[in-house]
This record gives sequence, C-alpha cells and structure tokens, in this order.
Amino acid sequence: MTTHRTIEFKLNGRPVTVHAGNHQNLVELLQGQGLFGARESCGQGLCGCCTVLVNGTAVTGCLTMATLVDGADVRTIEDSADGELDAVQQAFIETGAFQCGFCTPGFILMARQLLDAHPNPSEDEIRHYLAGNLCRCAAYTEIIKAVRLAAKKRKG
Amino acid sequence: MSPFDLVEPRSLKSALKLLDANDPSVRVFGGGTALMLMMKAGVFQPTRLISLRGIEKRYARVASAEDGGLRIGALVTLSALGRAAAVKKRAPVIIDALRTLSNVRVRNVATLGGHLAHGDPHMDLPPVLMALDARVVTAATAGTRTLAVADLYTGYYETALAPNELICEVVVPSQAGRRSAYVKLTTRAADDWPTLGIAVSLQTDGKVIEDARFVVSAATEKPLRLPGAEAVLRGATVSDALLAQVGEAAAAETELVGDARGSAAYKTELLRVYAGRAVRKALAA
Amino acid sequence: MATILGKTNNGAAMGQSIPRVEARAKVTGRAEYVHNLRLPGMLYGKVYRSTVAHARLLGVDVAAARALPGVHAVYTAADIIKLIAEPYYGPAFHDQPILAVDKVRHVGEPVALVLAADPHVAEAAAQLIVADYEELPAVFDEIEAMTSKAVVHEVLKPAGTFPDLKHLKDKRDTNIALDFHLRRGDAQKAFAGADHVFEHTFRTQQVLHLPLEPFVTVADPTPNQLVIHTASQSPSFVRIEIARLLGWPENRVRVKVPYLGGGFGAKLYIKLEALVAAAALLAGRPVKIALSMEEQFYQITKHATTLRIKSGVSKDGKIIARECEVWWNGGAYADIGPRVTQKSGFTAAGPYDIDHVSIDSYALYTNLPAAGALRGFGIPQLVWAYESHTDMIARELKIDPLAIRRKNILREGRPQATGTLMRDAGIEPVLERLAQRMAWEKPFDKGNGTVRRGRGIAIGFKASISPTTSVAIVNVGADGSCMVHCSTVDMGQGSDTAMAQIVAEALGIPVASVTLVHPDTDVTPYDMATLGSRSTYHMGHAVKLAAEDARDKLLALARDVGLSAETTPIPDIFRKKYGMQAGNIVGIGSFIPPYTPPEPGTGLTTDATPFWMIGATGAEVEVDTETGEFKITRLVNLVDVGRPVNPAIVETQISGATIMQLGFTLSERMDFDAGQVTNASLADYKIPGIRDIPAVMENEAVDMVQKSGPFGAKGVGESGTFGVSPAIANAIDDAVGVRLTTLPLTAEAVYRGLRANAGRPLES
Repeated sequence: MTTHRTIEFKLNGRPVTVHAGNHQNLVELLQGQGLFGARESCGQGLCGCCTVLVNGTAVTGCLTMATLVDGADVRTIEDSADGELDAVQQAFIETGAFQCGFCTPGFILMARQLLDAHPNPSEDEIRHYLAGNLCRCAAYTEIIKAVRLAAKKRKG
Repeated sequence: MSPFDLVEPRSLKSALKLLDANDPSVRVFGGGTALMLMMKAGVFQPTRLISLRGIEKRYARVASAEDGGLRIGALVTLSALGRAAAVKKRAPVIIDALRTLSNVRVRNVATLGGHLAHGDPHMDLPPVLMALDARVVTAATAGTRTLAVADLYTGYYETALAPNELICEVVVPSQAGRRSAYVKLTTRAADDWPTLGIAVSLQTDGKVIEDARFVVSAATEKPLRLPGAEAVLRGATVSDALLAQVGEAAAAETELVGDARGSAAYKTELLRVYAGRAVRKALAA
Repeated sequence: MATILGKTNNGAAMGQSIPRVEARAKVTGRAEYVHNLRLPGMLYGKVYRSTVAHARLLGVDVAAARALPGVHAVYTAADIIKLIAEPYYGPAFHDQPILAVDKVRHVGEPVALVLAADPHVAEAAAQLIVADYEELPAVFDEIEAMTSKAVVHEVLKPAGTFPDLKHLKDKRDTNIALDFHLRRGDAQKAFAGADHVFEHTFRTQQVLHLPLEPFVTVADPTPNQLVIHTASQSPSFVRIEIARLLGWPENRVRVKVPYLGGGFGAKLYIKLEALVAAAALLAGRPVKIALSMEEQFYQITKHATTLRIKSGVSKDGKIIARECEVWWNGGAYADIGPRVTQKSGFTAAGPYDIDHVSIDSYALYTNLPAAGALRGFGIPQLVWAYESHTDMIARELKIDPLAIRRKNILREGRPQATGTLMRDAGIEPVLERLAQRMAWEKPFDKGNGTVRRGRGIAIGFKASISPTTSVAIVNVGADGSCMVHCSTVDMGQGSDTAMAQIVAEALGIPVASVTLVHPDTDVTPYDMATLGSRSTYHMGHAVKLAAEDARDKLLALARDVGLSAETTPIPDIFRKKYGMQAGNIVGIGSFIPPYTPPEPGTGLTTDATPFWMIGATGAEVEVDTETGEFKITRLVNLVDVGRPVNPAIVETQISGATIMQLGFTLSERMDFDAGQVTNASLADYKIPGIRDIPAVMENEAVDMVQKSGPFGAKGVGESGTFGVSPAIANAIDDAVGVRLTTLPLTAEAVYRGLRANAGRPLES
C-alpha cells in the first residue's frame, strides 16, 4: 500500500517537489509551502475560502486530494503578490469589497475566472458565478460593484 | 483523515479489476468531492481509492447520437456538460438545472457518473434525466448492461449498482417535439439543497399534451415518476383548470418527507402549486 | 514632502473614504492571521467533546488514544488540575472548566485533549476516546429553566469583577445567573387607567456568529513568558485571565493578535486560550488548536429568548405604561450573558417616551452551548419584540405605524427608562429620514391576485458598554512617521484605518505616515476589548489624546531648540535636537467615560451610557399567497453613527450588519436533538449568500455629530442590525395580514398564517 508519494508540480510558475500523503488535501500541501492565502473554512466546498487554480480551473482546495496535483500547474492568490495588482484586486480595493479579508482571495480568484469566461457579466451572472463563495462580513453589494468595475478596467 | 492507498489506472478495464466486490473500503471516484466530504466527516475510511481520471478519454466526451439524442461519458465534468453545445441544443433543461447545481468549483471537478451514482435524493440531475427518459450504461468485469435512470435508484442513498459496477455512459434519447423544465425549490437560502424538485417533460404541439413525464425529487426517498399527474396531462389541453388538476393529482399520489426545510404537509402544498408552474415553465421552454 | 505638524493633510483625514490601510495585504492573500502561524516543534490539539447534554463524568478512557503512534500526549481535567488548581474561567462567572471536571453541561463540551505533531493523528486519536457518563435530567428551554429541577450549576460562582453580581455568590439550586429589574413610575397602576392594554409574547432562536476564520489559538511556552497568539477580540482580558488562572504576574503572559477573519462578538473574553495555554505548559512545546466549522457550533452562540411585552395605551395611541419580561437562554456557561441581561435589558421598553416602565430580565443557565455577545449584545432580540409589538398596537388602533412612532418617540433631552437624558441621540432624525426615503406618506402599490406587497418600518437603540477603559500610545519617529500602539483588534470593521485617520487628523499629518502596531500586550497598552461598537469612541478618544500629547511634546521640543513647529518639518526638529535622525516623541492617552451605576432594585441612573446608537430599517416585501414564499424587494437602513470617520467603511459596516441580521431573520437557526446540534455545518445552517441579498439595498448615516465623541464620531458596527427583523415581519403583516412572532420568518410560517386566517389551518 502506497499512502504517501513524491509529487512534482508547478506552483505559481515554479517547479516544486513534495512528499505528500494521499489523505492530505491541497490546502495542507500549500501550507507546507508557506502559502496561506487558500484557507480551509467550511471544509465542505461551500465558502470558497480555499479556492485554488489547477491547470487553469478553479477547484475547492480542501476537497482536493493533494497527491492528485502531481504534474499539474497550480496557482494561488499569491501568484501575483510580488508584482502589480491586477484589475480585479484594484477594483476590490477601490470599492471596499471586503472587511476581514479571510474570504477575499477566493472571491478574487473566482471573479477572475468569471471575467475570463464572461468579460461583460450581468448582475445575475455575477450572483450565480459567485454563489459558491461566502462572506460572513457580507460585503456582497460591494463585491458586485467590484466585479463590474474590474470588467471595465480590463477593457482599459 | 487516515492514510490510504490511491491508484490511477489507465483504462476502465483495469479500474474494474482493482475493485473488490467484497471490500467496501475500496472505492472508485471521478471528481472526489462527495467522497472527500464523507471521509472528512469520518463516515467513510478507505483502504484504497481508485481515481478514474486517467482512463480512456472517450469516457470524458459528450457526443451527439445519430437518433438526435446524446451520449455522455460518465467522466464528463458537470462544467463541461454545462458548456457542451450539443447539450444546449438537444436537452437545454440540463443546462438550466446545472446553473444552480452546487457551485462552479464543484462543477469543475464533479463528474456526471459520480453525481448519478451517489444516490442522494437531493441531487438535481437524476429527476431531470428521468424526465428525459435517459439510460445509463454500466460496466463490471462480468460485462456491461443498460438500465433506465428511473431504475437506477432503489431507495435512500441506494442504487441498483453492484459494488463492483460503474456507470460509464449516459444515453439521452432524442427530445424532438418535447419541452422540458426543472424547478428547484429552496426555502431557506437561495443556494441550498432543494426542499422539493420537480422535473417535467412534455410531448406537445403547444396546445395538446400528447405525452408527459412528471418526476418529483428531494422530498422523497428517491426521485419518483408520478403516474397520476402524468395521466391527467396526457391527451389534455392546457388550461388553468388542468394545471390545478395536475397539482391535486400529484399531491394526492405522493407521500413527501418532512425535514428542516419544511414539514411534509407544507411540501405537499408546494407540490400542489408548483406542479402546474413546472408544466407552464416546460411549455415556455 | 517633509511632514509639518498640523499642515500636511490640510485637516482632511477625518471623513475621508480612503481604502483600508491593510487593503493590499488582504487582496494578495498576505494578511497575517493566527491561522497562518506554525512554530518549530508545534503540536496540534484535537478536543474530545461530550456526546451528552448533562451528566456526571464517571471516567474518561484515553488509553487507546495514548497508544496511537504519533500521539504526544492526551490530557483530561486531572492533568489540568496539576497545573491550575481551580481551572474555571469566565468574564462574569468563574464557571467554565478548562476541561470538564466532574460533570458535563452541554453536548460538545471539551472533555479531553489530544496532542500530536500531525493533526490527522490527533484527530484519529480523539475518536478513540471513550467517556463514561451517568446522565442527568437536562433543561433546554429558558422558561422551563426558571423553575426546573434540573440544575446546570449546583453553586453560582460570580467572578467578583462586577458589583451587581456579588449577591449571587454561593447561591445554590438555581438556573438564574442574574436577574435585572428596572422600575420607573408605577406601571401596574397606569395599566388600570389605560384605554387599552396589549400583551404579546415573542421568541427568537439560537444562532451563532460563524466567522469564516474559526477559533484558533497558539500558545508558546518560552523560558521567560507564555506567549499566546490568538484570534481574540480582547487581548488585554486574555492576559489578565490567564495570569489569574496560573497565579502569575501579568507581564509573564504575552498575548498577540494579528488580523481576525471575523469576530462579531464570538472571539471575546476567553475561548480556546485557557486550554491551549495549559496544554502548552504541560507539554513544554508550542500547541495550536484550530476549531473546525462544526466545532464552532459548540463554542459560543447568540441567546435564544422569550420576550413578553405589555403596554397600556390611550385611545389616541400614546403609550402610558409598559412592562417587559425577558428570559435569555444563556446555555451551560454564563460567558458575558449576565451583562447582556442588564446592559441591554434596560432598553427593553424601546426608544419611546413612557412614564411608567417595569422591566425584568433574567439570564438563565440551560444545557445548550453557551451564549454570549453577538453583534448587538441582545438588542436585536429586544427590538424584534418591541417593534413588532408597536405595529400590532397600531394595527389594532387603526393608527399608521409611522404616526404611532412619531407620537411616542423618545426625543432629544427626554429621559430614557433609566432616567438618563437623551443626548446626541438621533432617534427622531433617523425615523424621519427613513420615512422620507420610504416615501411613507405616498400611496403604496399593495399588489393583487396571488402577489401581495407590503412595507414595514422598525427602529431601535442601544447604549454603549460602560464604564470601560482604553489606553493608547502614539510614537512619533525622527523622520516624522508615526506608530499607534493600541490593543483594538481589527477584525474587519476597519479600526486600523479609523485610528490612523484620527491620529492624522489630530497631528495634521498624512494618513499614509501613520501605521498601527497590532495588539501585543508587551507593547500595546490596556484596552477593555473590541466589542459593543466601543472602539471608535473609547479607543478613538485615547488615540486622539495620545496624539495631542505627542503634538504638545513636539511643540515643546521645537521651542527647546529654538524652532517653530508650525513652519519646521518634523525631521528637522529631531535633527536639531539630537544632531542626527534619532529619538522619539511618545504621547500617551487614556480614556474612561463618566458613568453612574444603576440603583439596585430600580435600575435607575442619571448616566447610563456615554453615547447612544440608533438604527432603523424599512422593508418592502412581495408575498406569494399560494405558497407563503416572500422576497424582500427593498431594504432601507438608516443609522446615527455621529460623524463618520470613513464614510465608505461605515456604509459597508451598515450593509454587512444588516445582511448578517437578515440571516438571523430568514434562514439561520441552530436545530437541536437532546442538546446535540443537528445542523452543525454550512450545508445545513444557511448563512446569507450573494443570491440572498435584496435587489435594492440602501444604507445611510444621517447627518449627526456626537459632540462628546472624537471629532464627532461614535460606534457603528451593530446599529445596522437593530430594525431588520421586525421591519420585515411588519411588512409581511402589511402585505397579507399574517403576524409572525417567532424567528426565523419562514415561507411555511407565512403559509400557515394564511391558512389559519382562511379558517383552514394546515395540519402540523
């Protein structure tokens, strides 16, 4: 029985080799790499705090078995942290679309995915796309404004 | 969670070989979200998990069938299903149901096969596929078989699948001349498990209903066809009185289960009202 | 540009909607939370919890857990007692054991703790623990608890910190943790002379805070100090209470708090800290406990209540007398419940000018998870009752809901029930502005057929928690940059930004040159806690005083060296004094507002609070008469927050508070089976999501100034919650004539009401 194995993947563009257990989830794997922007909160895939991009697709980090990212391209909110803020991050700041900030990385990653798929989303599309992210501070009206502003910013 | 073995076979055949009919601690998974939830809650502790994501690519494709229907691989993710042009054209009710099915991230990894095999009566696609008269093709080491989605469910979280049997394909027959709708009622928050699900598929010229399939879910142990409601619709002309009659028939023939989302009595009233609304939604589709 | 005192920001810091000072850290996922902390050699703790509601604890078998490979240690109360002879803590009562001693009092109570380097091992081991219980009769309902033979605590153990709890010491065989009484005039006599007497009973359900960052604490036993990193709203209290438990001086306990992923009152006083501290000392290694979302359901909740309210009213709608009884279901441990009972209890008669008032408010122990403070400190429960009651009276007397409020509203300068005169309390402006925004006096489309429309309003008020202390330090560096040392915790409300703006305003320097030192009891001075919307006012004052002290010292320094601080850049003053970039100016500010304690028995006082918070909501709803389903089509929220420090953050606070209360109004309810929570997850306990927000939401802070506040400001965090529940219930009644008196307001309840009105009640 092989309960642990060595996996190789790209983390925010850099190659990483890690020994991980099948029973660990992706959030734990990232914590081991010193990345804490994906956070386990509800533990059930409902709050979106643990959002991670795997091969360009948003997944629930706390429901993803760590060893399954072997060979994948994994990106987190920290991906762009050293460089400039993107349109979504700027829009979240300008509209004040967060309070405690715990859910914010998940909302930002999902908003980027939404705008990639629908550059000009309606309010209904925004609400449906972000329905899997929860904000207990309830900055929802500001988040909707932020996504609209980001859409405008992206168009330049 | 405790350590377990994880294997990724390259073919369906080898996946089936890895399954042990006598060892429930060995299981296959597609996206793995439901399984992870069960493992985290401590209700399932595997010794070995078999990931299906490495098997033949054809199980992850949506194809248009020659009869005008669809052949959908069991490993198609719910997101891919929602984006498939063939589905949008031939069975748009599936796209509509997917819109409020869980959330984007779960849909990105959850597979159609896993969704159907889970057996949870709150799932959205089983009633929809039953209304469309869809079938599943299953595989075991002994061979394959086809059964109607309606026959897949035998009880609360119980399916007709043998422990070493997998769903590998979903076949949706041609929906030519049919209009369908799914109504998902949530009574607490907008995003919640349904209090009641109603799926309706009508063969109609817009006025006279030639044939009807009427399915109720979520408030029942498993998704159920309602023959009484279907009989009221069959051959009838649409009117307010007819829709009221459908509601009466549906409410009379169904015993609903009460829970934190609503009492049985209230859910029955919802069924009485929404039966007609679901038919209207289908006619407008 | 070099900073010149009083010149550089043109006095433009206050009232500016600048982004939060930590905005960049939060959008890049780099903000610091205790959640992120990992220390070398750290062990993870997993708690084994009681599976029964009330029982004698006969034994705990931890042998199998101890034997599991990878387990470092397993502790029970027997181990804790070796370190702490009296292992009971709490802010009002010392009633809560670190681990259950000889009884368990609610399902989910911590009984044993497993430590392991691998959290998965700790979790597996905790599942191997078995406890032997001798079950006792349990009491769950607050009314039954008044007289129940099932007694949660055999003896009451008040902490001694509060004078009004002293009489409860050593009291036996009661579940009443505190009874508060207020008597103004003679309500009984006045009822006899009233044209009408109305009496109604209301209930609220048990709900909880559910911050998305669940409780988390790390304790690190260093050679000289015990260092506690914790997601706490009250670092100063944690230090004092842990020092008390250990019998140590305060300075041997160091408490550090970074950002919080939400608090809402959950992370107050002591939560995990005592257990984690004890475990770290016993193990001699750093220990971290991070609760799961499920475990949060057993940590702290909001009181379920029963409220009875009776009013004597004249024919023309003037309220002459009011009698209120409130029973607060405090759960198994008092936490801050007794303070809720009194501090909120005294406003139970509402923001109305009533000559004869009688209030009885009871804090009760039951065998449910403990209840504490949740965004409003009991006020939303009270407003639910008195504002539903107000509309019910109006309806009976055929008086317009706005008109009856105008007739009775507590106006500026008039005495509140305690006798305290209302000052800078915008009850009337908030009500009038709400009426205007709702276009109340214009015709309203009531709908037709199966879709009926209705509208409702509600207004509430709250006193601040007094008397409480805040101390701050403002440290000006030789380059003119400035650090603020204060123990206010930024849990999302924006206090770091507000404090920076207040200091910038006081010194006349740019906000960007001010940074906040996060709570660290070694370097940030005492603050009572971040609660009850007190920080802007109390800490705002302390910070402003500290800034003014620094300014005066800087002016004196400039004079000493023969310069004018009004024209010389700050760095030049330091350079002239010290010959190089060196030195500091340290300003100190300490603030405690005046307060007069209520008279025992009557509850009367001339100075109940330093300021009042006012909040009102107007709701428009659409009801489907075939199903009882309703949607809120418009929600208008008005508050008096004095002069907003940062209008954009204030609006987010109003909106956030309103939506949180919307959850408590419509969907949230802890369900129990024999004391066990049956919906302890976000899948089954539904908090508002983005699709639950009303299509139209309007939030406004009326134009007011709190003259006693720092630059005219006062608290804002809770006011948005006050009016939400009754405004919606009043709108539903307006639409379809169904009056709901129990929260949450469900479609099924509305439908049942419709059927009952039609004389065809739905079977249960």
